[in-house]
Amino acid sequence: MKHSISIFWRLKDNHYKIYITKCGDCGRVAPLKRLKCPYCGSRNVEHVESRGFGELINYTVSYYRTEGSEQYLPRVVGLVKLDEGPVIVGEITDVDLNELSIGTRVEAVLRKYSSEDPNGLIYYGLKFIPVIKK
Amino acid sequence: MKTYVVGSGVTKVDRHYDKNYLVLIDEAVGKTLANSGLDASDIEYLVVSTAFSESILNQADPSTYIAQNLGFRNVKALTVSSGEVSGAVALDYAHALIRSGKASRVLVVGFEKMSEYPSWVINKVYSKILEYEVEGIKNVAPSDYAALIMNDYMRRYGVSRESIIKWSIKMHENAVKTPHAQLQFTISADSLSKALRISEPLTMLDSHPTSDGAAALLLVNESVAKKAGTTPIELVDVESSVNLPIYLRDDLTYFSATAAAYKRLSSRNGVKLTTNTAINVYDTYDIYGLLTIEALEICARGEAVKCVDEMPYLNVGGGLKARGHPVGATPLYQVHELRELMSGASWVKYDGDISLAHAMSGPDNNAWLILLKGWV
Repeated sequence: MKHSISIFWRLKDNHYKIYITKCGDCGRVAPLKRLKCPYCGSRNVEHVESRGFGELINYTVSYYRTEGSEQYLPRVVGLVKLDEGPVIVGEITDVDLNELSIGTRVEAVLRKYSSEDPNGLIYYGLKFIPVIKK
Repeated sequence: MKTYVVGSGVTKVDRHYDKNYLVLIDEAVGKTLANSGLDASDIEYLVVSTAFSESILNQADPSTYIAQNLGFRNVKALTVSSGEVSGAVALDYAHALIRSGKASRVLVVGFEKMSEYPSWVINKVYSKILEYEVEGIKNVAPSDYAALIMNDYMRRYGVSRESIIKWSIKMHENAVKTPHAQLQFTISADSLSKALRISEPLTMLDSHPTSDGAAALLLVNESVAKKAGTTPIELVDVESSVNLPIYLRDDLTYFSATAAAYKRLSSRNGVKLTTNTAINVYDTYDIYGLLTIEALEICARGEAVKCVDEMPYLNVGGGLKARGHPVGATPLYQVHELRELMSGASWVKYDGDISLAHAMSGPDNNAWLILLKGWV
């Protein structure tokens, strides 16, 4: 898929890193750098960077083919509850489907989003892999 | 000032490779005007609904070209585009024109041409209903969310995968009796294990097909309605609400936007839906249909599968699942089917006073309700 370079550049904090928006009024947390708290609408928010670790709480093995996605199918798309609290949607990669389950510990890693841009541009962003035990 | 529907017409929902959007719309408008007693020169506003004409047809503001090509000479023309609820928003706009007294005869036209490209191209276009900067850029698909919601629903309420397919079976049975429906064949639970997987546990049997189609509705005020050649149906009220994205929701199995819109609509109009009320809801995926009848307080939470057999007027046209989902036109198909039902032209007899159409974009991201009432 073709993406705008300027859009992608502006989104660098939400796709090369994971930021969390903490609301100073209602106290709730949400993923991504946000102008306002999505729950109460307050502008009294603080942005903090997540460590990128969490737990897989729901996932699907997806065969939904879109232009350029063929090389990545089947893909695992899931909801990850970050250690800091909020839930984020993302792709789980580098994983044996037989070993994946709800509750799997995962960590964010930089991976390829797409590479079929007509000008040869490759877009990278964060996906999740099972936590590597050290 | 009250709003009435005095004419409606639809094309068969299908993959119309041989027809462009103008040909489809011409057919739907012709049927609409033919049974309304009015003609094109009577129309004051042409309100056009489409979700994807810019992406698929490379056509911005198709209302201009519909007016130019289909003989609407002195009409005010505009296009409404609001994802999968475009048609509901177009009806709300037309309703506001009539209620305010700004217009007395408004033609609402909805269309979509989803079969112009192979499925992998159209799948990308359809995924634009989600938020591009958060979900689309990561290739998250609408069916992925339906699968996550289905997972949570089965876990939370102990509902089996095989029982959820009951919804789709009923939709196909209704589509067989609906001439304009796309998938006019029955399915059985036995087919589930062999069905093509989309996003596990979701299969093709749980999902809407790729559809082309056009539908039109003629909305008028009371004085025009009294002179119409057909029995009018009143468009009583429209209500809507927006939900949080699903990754911010505390409970994936509750469509709170649909529920909030229903609470407001119900209290304002003094209506309560039951299993015997005619409703036409968005079942983009069967699990969404089940969650919708729970959010509309027709069935208790976790009990929708048991309710489906007790609802004789549920999606009588076959729903998005089997009638099909020509996106910008879908809410207009729903109202057309309810109008036929309330005026005795459907395959099933209905004696109720009211009916309700429900539309939503994505998994309850933006939910709309349209309340209809018989002529009294």
